[in-house]
Amino acid sequence: MRRTSIAVLGCALSLTVAACGGSAPAGTTDSGGDSGPIKIGSLHPISGDLAADGQQMDNGAKLAVEAINQAGGIKALEGRKLQLLSGDTQGEPDIGQSEAERLIQEGAVGLVGTYQSDVSANVSAVAERNEVPFVIDVSSDDAILQQGYKYTFRVQPSSSVMGTEGAKYLQEVSSAAGEPAKKIAILHEYGPFGTAVSKSFTAEAERQGMQIGPVISYDPLSVTDLTTQMTKVKAAGADVLVVTGYYSDSVLAADAVKAVKPQLDAVFGVADGAYDLPQFPEQMGSASEGYYDSNYHSDMTNPETQKLAALYQKRFGEEIRTGAVLAYDSVRVIASSLEAAGDTDPAAVRDAIAQGNFETLIAGNGPISFTDTGENENAVPILMQVQDGKIVQAHPDEFAQAKPLYPAPPAQ
Amino acid sequence: MSHPSETRQTSPSDPAQAGAPRTRRPVPWLPVLTTVALVVAAVALAFVRSGSGAVVTQAVLAGVLIGGIYGLLAMGLTLIFGVLDIVNFAHGAFLTVALFLTFWLVQSLGLHPYLALGVTVPAMFLIGFGVQRGVLSGAMGKPLQNQLLITLGIALVIENALLMFVGANPRSVALPGDQGVQVLGAVAELSNLFAFVGSLLLAGGLFLLLQRTRLGTAIRAVAANDVGAQMVGIDVRRIYALTFALGTACAGAAGTLVAPLVTIEPTTGSLFNILAFVIVVLGSMGNVVGALVGGLIIGLTEQLGTLLLPSQSPQLSVFIVFVLVLFLRPQGLFGRSA
Repeated sequence: MRRTSIAVLGCALSLTVAACGGSAPAGTTDSGGDSGPIKIGSLHPISGDLAADGQQMDNGAKLAVEAINQAGGIKALEGRKLQLLSGDTQGEPDIGQSEAERLIQEGAVGLVGTYQSDVSANVSAVAERNEVPFVIDVSSDDAILQQGYKYTFRVQPSSSVMGTEGAKYLQEVSSAAGEPAKKIAILHEYGPFGTAVSKSFTAEAERQGMQIGPVISYDPLSVTDLTTQMTKVKAAGADVLVVTGYYSDSVLAADAVKAVKPQLDAVFGVADGAYDLPQFPEQMGSASEGYYDSNYHSDMTNPETQKLAALYQKRFGEEIRTGAVLAYDSVRVIASSLEAAGDTDPAAVRDAIAQGNFETLIAGNGPISFTDTGENENAVPILMQVQDGKIVQAHPDEFAQAKPLYPAPPAQ
Repeated sequence: MSHPSETRQTSPSDPAQAGAPRTRRPVPWLPVLTTVALVVAAVALAFVRSGSGAVVTQAVLAGVLIGGIYGLLAMGLTLIFGVLDIVNFAHGAFLTVALFLTFWLVQSLGLHPYLALGVTVPAMFLIGFGVQRGVLSGAMGKPLQNQLLITLGIALVIENALLMFVGANPRSVALPGDQGVQVLGAVAELSNLFAFVGSLLLAGGLFLLLQRTRLGTAIRAVAANDVGAQMVGIDVRRIYALTFALGTACAGAAGTLVAPLVTIEPTTGSLFNILAFVIVVLGSMGNVVGALVGGLIIGLTEQLGTLLLPSQSPQLSVFIVFVLVLFLRPQGLFGRSA
């Protein structure tokens, strides 16, 4: 009896996973077509652990489609309207893949998504096979665009760009304050995202003469306490702690900093999923003061971004996140390419994406423009800091809303 | 009087349990001593690996503190299994409900988070009672997988209803005056300490309830032999519902106690769900004290595991321990061999 129970338990555990899976019905609608709305697919984790971000991004894509339709649709195609097909990846690569297939079968001329690198990797393979362009809004893993794909493009900076730029910003900000960072401890989530960012950060930081160690990684999905890891950081006597993680685990890291009180000059997020979100100072209160995050970010000094943020707040009752702005930008990339191509053939749209320059609401070096591998050559992160309970853009100067405060010893 | 083995609730159909419960049985010294020896060995090994006493002390403290909370959660689960023979997959989801209830009480009424216990525990008790009476009672005595799928369904419904009606944005509950304090050379947040102490008190309360009250005696009687219990005039259906309600109330208490420690999202409970099952099996299914001890062991395993196997998921060390236990003692640490 007891053994059976355990066996059943085992089945049920795998069942939980399967139940989250479900299956996507195969749609059989015409593709492209010459009349009716032009379909664009949006693939994000609308349910599951990452639903908060996924829903934001889906909303961002919706607002882009609405804005384009209100402005008269695609003029090169007799003002044909856009229609957004939303797919839910549930945060799972296999579901993302089947949803991508479904949206393509339903006639999507382009896809945007997906927030997670492992999901985007699968979707990019589907896009390549079906020769439908896929514009990645958020997913930083470098490897996705190292497969020689022709149909995949990325708007946000890759992991290696974010790690490298993060190290440069740390060096610039700390040196400008006259207290250059010397001993750096790194705490990162152990998946491909955290590992890749920390690797490129380490390479650049060592080039700048900083000393790295300890480097500690953790499992973001099952971690419940990081005080042990923080005690290691304290024992090592680091003067800056670099954190790369998702939301709730990064909050645990901040909790651990508050409890263990390592003698730090700053906590410095690199592509961190918490320290540049308004929820973070709300949740941590004064203990969040001074936290840095070097991350891709919407340019809030741009009046158009401010207008979008106000619209989002009105429509959805919450503050817009950068992910939603990236999804907004990605849909606009496809729309502009439809305009330039004057054709709904996915291959023609792909060529227009590869050649075009596109407006962006994200802080970067210029308009969105893709290299041969599909990376946005103007994508760079910027540096944010929590000041007086608000997230402000602090560095580089052209995007700064306030001066960076350094040193910023945490939890004082 | 109080004695771990007395609290064993077992499934009536389990032949190994035909004689249980008895009033006195010798303490299972061998597994207890082996466990203690293994924990000491793991601590020593962690010290060798990390080379820093402070780090190991911190790991032990953090492990024990989080382990107490795991224990409380697992106690509810094991109680339900022991008496109703139901593998309750909705346990983590019930914890999530309590988290959101606590959040709502703190947010809208400005209640101190721990005062919310006065609402969440009775509320979860009622919800548990209702769920057992309304949904599960029809499946009692049916094959195990029926109830299993029902509870899995309840979990999915709760998770997705929360996602739909409250949204996925992360929320939090702040404990007024929360700060790090020194404990035996390590540090812990006050909220963590309070949650641990609260868990132990509630565990003690549950233990006394089972041992010293008429209701507890009835619950143990039903666990040992439900037909026999019915024959001596115990309302077995009522005991089933009350036991499920008690187990759910444990999840409710755990939910309020961990509210200041976690980020509250509709899927937060699932983080604890699988661990709770591991603990229940580790501490022998149906054994309430076993669940508490199992919780402490798993908490320690997670923390020491991050030192022994750095850069790995804490679940790796947890499942290494779990598989070893299943291999060496399939009946769990506190069960009798068949």
